[in-house]
Amino acid sequence: MSSSLWSLTAGTQGQIQDFDPELADNYRVRLMELGFHPGEVVTCLQTPAFGSPKVFRVANSIFSLDDEVASHILITPVGSA
Amino acid sequence: MKKIILIGSPNSGKSLLFNRLTGLHQRVANYPGITVDVASGALAALPEVVLVDFPGTYSLHAISGEEQVAVNYFSEALDDPDVVQVLCLIDVTRLEKSLYFTLQVIRECERHGKHAVVIANMMDVLEKHKISMDLEGLAAEVQAPVVPVSARSGKGLDAVLEQIKYGIASGKGPASCGIVDVPDAILRGTAHKLAHKYGPKGDLLIKSQARLDSFFLHTAFGGIVFFGIMYLMFQSIFTWAAPVMDAIESLVAWAASIVVPLVPTQIAKDFLQDAIFGGVGAFLVFVPQIFVLTFVIGILEDSGYMARAALICHKPLRMFGLTGKSFIPMLSGVACAIPAIYAARSIDSPKKRLLTYIAIPLMPCSARLPVYTLLIAAFIPATTIFGGLVGLQGVAMFGVYFFGMMCGLIATSVLSRVRAEQYEDLPFVLEMPPYRLPAWQPLIRNSWNRSKHFVTKAGVIILTVTIVIWVFGYFPTMGQDLGASWLGQFGKLVEPVFAPLGLDWRYGVAIMTSFLAREVFVGTLGTMFGIENSDDNVLPLAEQIQASGMSVASGVALLVFFAIALMCVSTMAILGKESRSKTLALKLFLVYGLSAYVMAILAYNLVGFF
Repeated sequence: MSSSLWSLTAGTQGQIQDFDPELADNYRVRLMELGFHPGEVVTCLQTPAFGSPKVFRVANSIFSLDDEVASHILITPVGSA
Repeated sequence: MKKIILIGSPNSGKSLLFNRLTGLHQRVANYPGITVDVASGALAALPEVVLVDFPGTYSLHAISGEEQVAVNYFSEALDDPDVVQVLCLIDVTRLEKSLYFTLQVIRECERHGKHAVVIANMMDVLEKHKISMDLEGLAAEVQAPVVPVSARSGKGLDAVLEQIKYGIASGKGPASCGIVDVPDAILRGTAHKLAHKYGPKGDLLIKSQARLDSFFLHTAFGGIVFFGIMYLMFQSIFTWAAPVMDAIESLVAWAASIVVPLVPTQIAKDFLQDAIFGGVGAFLVFVPQIFVLTFVIGILEDSGYMARAALICHKPLRMFGLTGKSFIPMLSGVACAIPAIYAARSIDSPKKRLLTYIAIPLMPCSARLPVYTLLIAAFIPATTIFGGLVGLQGVAMFGVYFFGMMCGLIATSVLSRVRAEQYEDLPFVLEMPPYRLPAWQPLIRNSWNRSKHFVTKAGVIILTVTIVIWVFGYFPTMGQDLGASWLGQFGKLVEPVFAPLGLDWRYGVAIMTSFLAREVFVGTLGTMFGIENSDDNVLPLAEQIQASGMSVASGVALLVFFAIALMCVSTMAILGKESRSKTLALKLFLVYGLSAYVMAILAYNLVGFF
């Protein structure tokens, strides 16, 4: 069952399946350049206050993404980190 | 002259390496995108070779107009016959992010026959965690030398210089690595594969970073910690700077008491006393605050907290049409609007960048600080509450700063809704830098330079204005009656404009001169009060304002006026240049000037009513 990266809570992981076609091509490419490849496991590290962008770990880098981006990255939840 | 290009992804330590190799002091900070301009300097060890530092970028595939400019500039540099070598910096702790870009750079170098060298930075972090990396294997895969360095400690720089010497001597890139025609999509896959094969295994900084993040970005406490840090910053401006400010004030008064009696004629005595010690001296007192403010902002940037603050502020700022990335330029605007306008280049969305430009002039910059400090010192008692924990003057300063910021946010909120569709917008993705202890020496040097720049830049204007003000205020009555002087006559002509704020002509003149630069207000007032008081001592200006009979309502009106009006010639010039709009600065000047006046009248009547 797939859901979006934005649905992850702190301490949970998901494997990237694909990108929502609504996400602009430019951004899909940039996300892959940063390490968000389909097949990669992403860990949600923090969900800060005020509905701020969430903090995700991919490979050995940490990025924060807001809902406008993270909700277009489709994942399969793989449990806790 | 031979040129070497230094390129790499954001926050990989390029500027630090640049400073190490050139001996220069390019601004560095622990925040992605801090280098926004191309900087160049001769190599310290090889003065005949110029090193060119490019802004960091994640890829040669640009996703915004600004990135395209940087990418085009890199392509042009590769066509330059003087460019002999490209140093591509990678952060070994985050190889995945760096390698794709590196492969793109190597491919472009191969296409243009340039010598490419990969500089593997942050080796000190790997050593600290006792992790080794097969750099030779990586070098064999990418067909380019890979040199391990630590830009922070300076280790490995000799090997970089050896590579530079080799590049200059050979003048041509190494044997082809066969990726000239490989498209980006394949390179991305190769980078991904190489990062997994050669990247350091283990968590490195992630665990300690996550521990600190769980405190600073905590769902419940993160916001409270953020407000606490901001509040401490404003209190520190007062508490840390106060002893030095007092010392400077005493020093100016002491110097006046020594120098003035040595001068033979009365006119020269009066000039020194009123224009130099009274006018310029009054302004110098505020320099320690500029130092402290720049220093504290520097700590926040270097420690890595600034990126967390950007994240916490993103959602609230989005409500006002901005992005979390606007937070850094806006907070820099608390020091000075000019570096803030430059910092706004790191905002990738053109729409949000324009809105940030609109908000920056309303940020309470350090030029406003002397005016605020003076008026608060004149009207708010220096007492503390809650057992000495909270200073009333600090609370008042926090209030004025908050007011300025809110005005900026309201302006962007309205404009983002009115002109929503005209500009390209991009969503929020921000790399979180690791937490680091600030590098104190560059931090102090930067704060010192900013203070020096503040004195030299504003000092010339202030000296000129105070001399003109003194001459017009002194003659023809020879300092006997300021009201009957030329300045007094002019002041009374414009007095009706300032009467609705309850201000007399002296404050009117001071406001008009401060349209050049806000700090001039303090110098002008100091000079005029100096002429008025026959006293030989240089009295603290706040005491003189209290004695002038200005009401609290007028004091508040003045604070409101200075919080909103765009009174800085330099800001307007840089704003015009950076926004590439000839009319933006002029429009903001008119709109903010008029709003400041109307709001000040409202504040005067409101405070007067209560």
